[in-house]
Amino acid sequence: MILAVVEKEFRMFFRYPLRVISSIFVGIVFLLQFVYFGQAVLGGRYSTLLEASTGMGDYPTYALIGYVLWWVSVSPMEAYVWGVRRELQRGTFETNVLSPARLIGLLFGLSLSWLLMDSTLMVIVFVMGVIIFKIPITAIIVLKSLPAIAASLLAFLGFGFVFAGLVMLLKNIGPFAQIFEFAMLFLSGVFFPLTVMPAPIQALSNLLPLTHSARIVRALFAGEGYFAVGDSVAWLLLLIPAYWAIGYLLFRWAERTTRVIGYGGY
Amino acid sequence: MWTIEAEGLRKSYPKKIPLPFRKVEWVEAVKGVSFKVKKGELFGLLGPNGAGKTTTIKMLTTLLEPSGGTARVLGLDIRRDAREIRRKINLVAEGERTLYWRLSAYENLKYFARIYYVPKREERERIETLLKLVGLWERRNDLVMNFSRGMKQRLAIAKALINDPEVLFLDEPTLGLDVQSAIFVREFVKRLVKEEGKTVLLTTHYMAEAEELCDRIAIIDHGRIIAMDTPEGLKRLVKDEETVEIRVRELKSQSLGESPFSMAVIEDDTSTGTVRLRAQVDEEDLPRLVEWLVKRGAKVLSVEKMEPTLEDVFIKLTGRGLRD
Repeated sequence: MILAVVEKEFRMFFRYPLRVISSIFVGIVFLLQFVYFGQAVLGGRYSTLLEASTGMGDYPTYALIGYVLWWVSVSPMEAYVWGVRRELQRGTFETNVLSPARLIGLLFGLSLSWLLMDSTLMVIVFVMGVIIFKIPITAIIVLKSLPAIAASLLAFLGFGFVFAGLVMLLKNIGPFAQIFEFAMLFLSGVFFPLTVMPAPIQALSNLLPLTHSARIVRALFAGEGYFAVGDSVAWLLLLIPAYWAIGYLLFRWAERTTRVIGYGGY
Repeated sequence: MWTIEAEGLRKSYPKKIPLPFRKVEWVEAVKGVSFKVKKGELFGLLGPNGAGKTTTIKMLTTLLEPSGGTARVLGLDIRRDAREIRRKINLVAEGERTLYWRLSAYENLKYFARIYYVPKREERERIETLLKLVGLWERRNDLVMNFSRGMKQRLAIAKALINDPEVLFLDEPTLGLDVQSAIFVREFVKRLVKEEGKTVLLTTHYMAEAEELCDRIAIIDHGRIIAMDTPEGLKRLVKDEETVEIRVRELKSQSLGESPFSMAVIEDDTSTGTVRLRAQVDEEDLPRLVEWLVKRGAKVLSVEKMEPTLEDVFIKLTGRGLRD
């Protein structure tokens, strides 16, 4: 059943070729402007100040890692929000709910479809970023980074259910989701080191899986291993079940409430 | 055993989304509806817009949680056994946006076959049979967005049969269709009941449709069932009274509210200024009715005695027409 949802979403997505092109274009332009802005402020590609505070002095590499991880982390939320919203706008959501398939499975299928599409686009943007900025990268580093990337993704895959529930209930929560996503971009040290932030914000950033996965991947790129960032690994292992639990409980509440008011259209 | 049993079914909607710590007012849309439908019966819920028909259907199809009362479909409780019920029923919902317009007819049915867990080995044959049944096999590879309203409705019916449901719910199935498509849908529904033995619950606000299709009809108004019988049985409610149709011009329709007669507007043709009224009056009262209309500035064009219809039943029971 999940595969049926994925197949359907892929068919419809690729019937809009312009959407594919625009997604890649937006992704690369967004990255370029941040990297060039950062380099302009730092006075060049390499910063000793950045290296002193993060262990990584090459700004394009620093920004590309944070950006790709941020993209991977927000894509499940985007997938839930827009996946459900599209169904509501099409008027097909209720038809799906009426089927004997579990709603949570249908939503997971929707999320998975957009996640796969987003990840494909992200890989293209990443490769373009590597080529444009001549990022020193090896296959070993990429392979070693995959568990940290997957952990971040996994945490937000569960947390995304909150947004799926809220979209069903409140219909238009796109702006709310975007506030959350950009707050995460700001609070996780994607484009600048967290050490420049006030102490309470640094403490708050510990609650975001992205903060830790970015730290781990940057450490791997700097030639260190997982043990060097053991505290971030521990945080990630703690945050994954917590995010799933919060996501699932809030989703169930939203689902019950939606059944009282109706799934309705958009 | 009854196929559908509703007992005191009630539904209230909140005026705002009921978030924690928020005081919310509730509006009662269905106020204790009770009826039973037997296997192979075509049962109609007839009523004006906003009467509570769709809400009732959504509760019975497990899409909405009832606020009170109980209901069973195929012996299963709509609250407890929602998933089991969903395997055995299907719904043709009101409106044309229940399909994926950017998928073809075939792809739509394939998707729904999968989420209804139709066995893979049966999938292809079932889709082909259904598309042929609704006359869309030749157009199976066309995107739904290129279909006419009638074709989309035919596909929506095929989609609703994908799981071979024992009970089919049809919510205003001919709403907005052209005459030919509406005839197709009605004939198709009749065949489903007669030849396939399906149980059908249909909502409509078209009296002729209810009369033509339904074995029994429940007339619903303001969330309550006000009468329930066979079409003939319902019409017997008005058999002792004369039904007349009066065509008038220059009548201010708001003045009908003060009328001492059971009367309702059937058609208001704004281009000619002509209004068709139906009224239940006995022979002695007819001159008084005409006089009453003339006094309100109406020019009476014709008065004709008519056979009673379900609209007359509704007028008698509510004092107004289905379209009011």
